[in-house]
Amino acid sequence: MTLRLRRLWLALALLLLAIEFGASFLPMDRAMRPLLLIPAVLMVATVGTVFMEVGRGPAVVRLFAVAGLLWLTILLGLGSLDPLTRTDYPVQSTSPQ
Amino acid sequence: MSATAIAVPAAEPSYLTDGLTLRSWLLTTDHKRIALLYLGTITIFFFVGGIAAALIRLNLVVPEGLIPSAETYNRLFTMHGVVMVWFFLIPAVPTTLGNFIVPLMLGARDLAFPRLNLASWYLFVIAGIVVLYALFVGGVDTGWTFYTPLSTAYSKGHVVAAIVGVFIAGFSSIATGLNFIVSIHRLRAPGMTWYRLPVFLWSLYATSVILVLATPVLAMTLLLLSFERIFHIGVFDPALGGDPLLFQHLFWFYSHPAVYIMILPGFGVVSEIIPAFSSKRLFGYKFVVWCSIAIAVISFLVWGHHMFVAGTSLYSALVFSILSYMVAVPSAIKVFNWIGTMHKGFIRFDAPMLYALGFIGLFTMGGLTGLFVAALAADVHLTQTYFIVAHFHYVMVGGMVSAYFAGLHYWWPKITGRMYPEMWGRAGALIIFIGFNFTFFPQFILGYLGMPRRYHSYPPEFEVLNVLSSAGATILAVGYLLPLAYLTWSLFYGERASANPWGATGLEWRTPSPPPTDNFDETPVVTEPPYNYPPPELVQRHV
Amino acid sequence: MSETYLPHEVQYSSARHQAESAISGMWLFLATEVLFFGALFLTWIYSRHWNQAGFDAGAQHTNLAIGTVNTVILLASSFVYSAGVAFIEAGNTRRLVQCAAAAWLLGLAFLILKFGVEWRDDFAKHLFPGADFAIHGPLGGSARIFFEFYFLGTALHGLHMVGGLVLVGWIIWRARRAEFSPALHTPVIVVGLYWSFVDIVWIVLYPLLYLVGRGP
Repeated sequence: MTLRLRRLWLALALLLLAIEFGASFLPMDRAMRPLLLIPAVLMVATVGTVFMEVGRGPAVVRLFAVAGLLWLTILLGLGSLDPLTRTDYPVQSTSPQ
Repeated sequence: MSATAIAVPAAEPSYLTDGLTLRSWLLTTDHKRIALLYLGTITIFFFVGGIAAALIRLNLVVPEGLIPSAETYNRLFTMHGVVMVWFFLIPAVPTTLGNFIVPLMLGARDLAFPRLNLASWYLFVIAGIVVLYALFVGGVDTGWTFYTPLSTAYSKGHVVAAIVGVFIAGFSSIATGLNFIVSIHRLRAPGMTWYRLPVFLWSLYATSVILVLATPVLAMTLLLLSFERIFHIGVFDPALGGDPLLFQHLFWFYSHPAVYIMILPGFGVVSEIIPAFSSKRLFGYKFVVWCSIAIAVISFLVWGHHMFVAGTSLYSALVFSILSYMVAVPSAIKVFNWIGTMHKGFIRFDAPMLYALGFIGLFTMGGLTGLFVAALAADVHLTQTYFIVAHFHYVMVGGMVSAYFAGLHYWWPKITGRMYPEMWGRAGALIIFIGFNFTFFPQFILGYLGMPRRYHSYPPEFEVLNVLSSAGATILAVGYLLPLAYLTWSLFYGERASANPWGATGLEWRTPSPPPTDNFDETPVVTEPPYNYPPPELVQRHV
Repeated sequence: MSETYLPHEVQYSSARHQAESAISGMWLFLATEVLFFGALFLTWIYSRHWNQAGFDAGAQHTNLAIGTVNTVILLASSFVYSAGVAFIEAGNTRRLVQCAAAAWLLGLAFLILKFGVEWRDDFAKHLFPGADFAIHGPLGGSARIFFEFYFLGTALHGLHMVGGLVLVGWIIWRARRAEFSPALHTPVIVVGLYWSFVDIVWIVLYPLLYLVGRGP
């Protein structure tokens, strides 16, 4: 890829950062705020495909990358099942003053 | 099978004679020498953990506990668990038999990253020294599971020291797994397609997937634990709004797959031995292969079954229970495949086969009792009792340790160039099988009757079964000491082995025993399916 | 057409075989790092879930300016190093050295801003969850938990950055000795993978630390 094209990808990543930054100032429900990670995920995809060239090299490279992401999903997804479904009985806060 | 008619020349040059200095061993990058370095190290740890076990069983001979201090007892079972899990069971087959045999089975001259392999051994040794240090300055009382808040806030043991040792050992594990995965992908001999790989390699591949993906989670968990212990502030502290169950989720996310790290290599070893000693093709090869992969994947989905009474949501517990039933299926399929392999085979009861058969029996019992405790209602009564202790010892000790001994005996001629004395080998296998059942079967009953685990004393009505269990442990100890004796003897006086004393298939048997440093004179080319024994109907046997 | 013989280890069939295996090995290692930091991210999920008010209260005390500038720095660093890889593929060692050096300096700038300025400031404001923690009241406990996550996460990331600086420095040193060529520059690629990955970790940490907890 040409240096010029590479610079464009950097510009895209910076643009995504700007969007993420700007969006963080928008009023939204506290529970929705993790959606701010969407531009971050796109930035990760950009770095991974363009700068790290996951598409190049032997096929196992893509197998390993997918496996990492899949297992991360299992960890975060199945791991979140308990807190999302647990009944929390609130107690008096005893945190140090 | 020990009286081979082939005359073998004495002491041909091999990897053992290629460099005789200490430096040539400590700085080796030869996978075979590294395997032996590991073999020595894990044997030491096996006996350290074994001594702890002996003291535990000794304590439990009387209801009030022979060792006066409950705290000491807690430290003993913690050390037993930490050492046996991370310094024996997890490394046992992969680092010794795996390191030695994987390149040979692939038809390669070494693993993908030989220096990383040596580094993994040094990391393992350093980790072991740190853990032994933690032991000698007084040990830890939290159990190998390090649950919070005992480990973070209340334990008076050397938690951080023990954790640092385990943390470092984790890097050794990851390095080994990474090496195997890349080697199996990239270093297969010409003609060695995926479906021509022996099951031992598939099993180690599956094991390595777990090694590389689960261990990092343990690393982070231990860091979080250390932070909280050192700074008295943490994400596991409910007083601050933290969640003690988070620790358990993170810990078991690793530790459940870890038990499959322990058992999958055993499946692989048994899958090599059964065909060899039945002189018959492995029944349902593709099933066995895909079951190995399935176990590796599903093993990551069941960790919550260690937490059924911990306070997770019932919904989450249900999901984990169902998934736990699913993970048993591929293991069961394998058992049927092994039995199918033996059916109409020409079965010989050499020591490796006796150990492998013992594995099938004991592992099946352990596995089935796992299903008992996967049921939510049953687990409420059985959890934290000796039923669980018996369950996991049946799979890990009755199963995995038997498989390890099976593999050790099977490949001993290849590794050392010597045959072990066969009658002693068979005796050892039998003594272990008998001693094991005497030690651990009573514990199923004890657990069912309600005796809790990790207690230094117990109600007097449990005394008889405990005494029986401890008596069995002495028999088991003899069974474990015996191979140490006769295998060592065989190094000096054992009959010299030919390249293929068992008449088995597999590339490792096509090179001399012991192999030359570069494994093969010429890179082998594979043209046949694995376990290419002729069908039994076609073979004339002179029995 | 004759092929120049390129050296390779005995277990490989060619230099290219070895190069591709090394690259594969690094990707697999990065997959392990995904799980390593992933466990930390699960901790963030739990901690924020149980105490969203206190957790976010802590997050509002992070230094948004430095955090954002640092993100730009790392993106630029990842970009310029990857340009360096492209240069050596085309045979331009001089540009490789310049690009790697630029990446290195950007990485150093990150560390100086992060630990020399930001952390020092955080400690001065008593944000380390120790005895004299700055945030009191009912939200204080969860704010402490946020800052455990913050300090541990940035420390671990920082350690990885330091490792990266050592590796990139090693590449610069070897490149200046003309050890790389279009046919043989696997270490350059492998180090670049690691370097970009450390950038990726930061790209995820940044919103978790600086953005999600803030806002109107």
